Amino acid sequence: MQIDEFSEDHLDVLKELMNIAMGNATASIADLLQAFGTMHIPHLAISDMDGLKAYMEKTIPSDEKYYVTKQLFGGMFGGEFIFVMTDESAVNLGHYLYDVTAPSDADIMDAVIELTNILSSTILSRLSEELNTKVQFFVPSTELMSGNELIGHDETLNYHRIIIISTLMEFQSHKISGHIFILTKDKMIESLSRLIDQKLEELYA
Amino acid sequence: MKVLVVDDSKLARLSLIKSLKEHEPSAEILEAENGEIAVELFKSENPRVVFLDLTMPVMDGFEALKLIMQIDPKAQVVVVSADIQTHAQQQVLALGAKLMVPKPINSDKMLGVLQQLVF
Repeated sequence: MQIDEFSEDHLDVLKELMNIAMGNATASIADLLQAFGTMHIPHLAISDMDGLKAYMEKTIPSDEKYYVTKQLFGGMFGGEFIFVMTDESAVNLGHYLYDVTAPSDADIMDAVIELTNILSSTILSRLSEELNTKVQFFVPSTELMSGNELIGHDETLNYHRIIIISTLMEFQSHKISGHIFILTKDKMIESLSRLIDQKLEELYA
Repeated sequence: MKVLVVDDSKLARLSLIKSLKEHEPSAEILEAENGEIAVELFKSENPRVVFLDLTMPVMDGFEALKLIMQIDPKAQVVVVSADIQTHAQQQVLALGAKLMVPKPINSDKMLGVLQQLVF
């Protein structure tokens, strides 16, 4: 299948399913933080490597430090889940979850991983459930890096044709926010397209 | 019976309309893809029921709900949203929504909603 066959209808379906999945994730994080989270409209785009790089440059300021957690996931809908949180947000998260004024680096890292686990498992499980398929999770890794390093990171940009799904998770009262990117590529786009076609067939039946 | 379905997603509108038609096949459906269009349609068409999403471009569901309730305090607005936080539910009910239903809506959920509305 050519990538061009991934139509506006496919993107609309994926956007709506992401919206549902994000709603579940926001509610889970709201329980964890005992706060109200603002839901934002997910952004979806079909891109190439240059487009992904430009999008990340626009979304993630290059001069700040970020906790970046990456997790691969597999199945008929497979790809990479990336959660990017500013250093300041991560400290606020550690401060809140551990109830200490100055959380240690290990506390912050642990808090970021915990938050990312909840986000990735809730979002991807819900997306997969809506697409009538299963997802397999791989072990995530977290690194503190600058925006420049993230944008220039070879692993992150090692894609040819990509669907970018992104949104912002925001808990203003706790000054905690983070960007979520879900990247899927090449053959996975074909199987994702088939899953969405099945979903649409059910709807029009 | 006129029913206004408001959602920026075509899929969400389609699946809601499909569920609605299973129980109310004669319903006349009006569609809007954001809150601003919804408010205009509400003014001009005076639908009996409004199904309203919250997270939308141009004007979100919270703002649209506020304006619709100002136009007609007896409007029957059902919020259908992925935002399942308790605070969001409390907010829309305080603004005057009749019910809030988590997405995705299906035939069973729709039946439960219709049983709680006044026709």
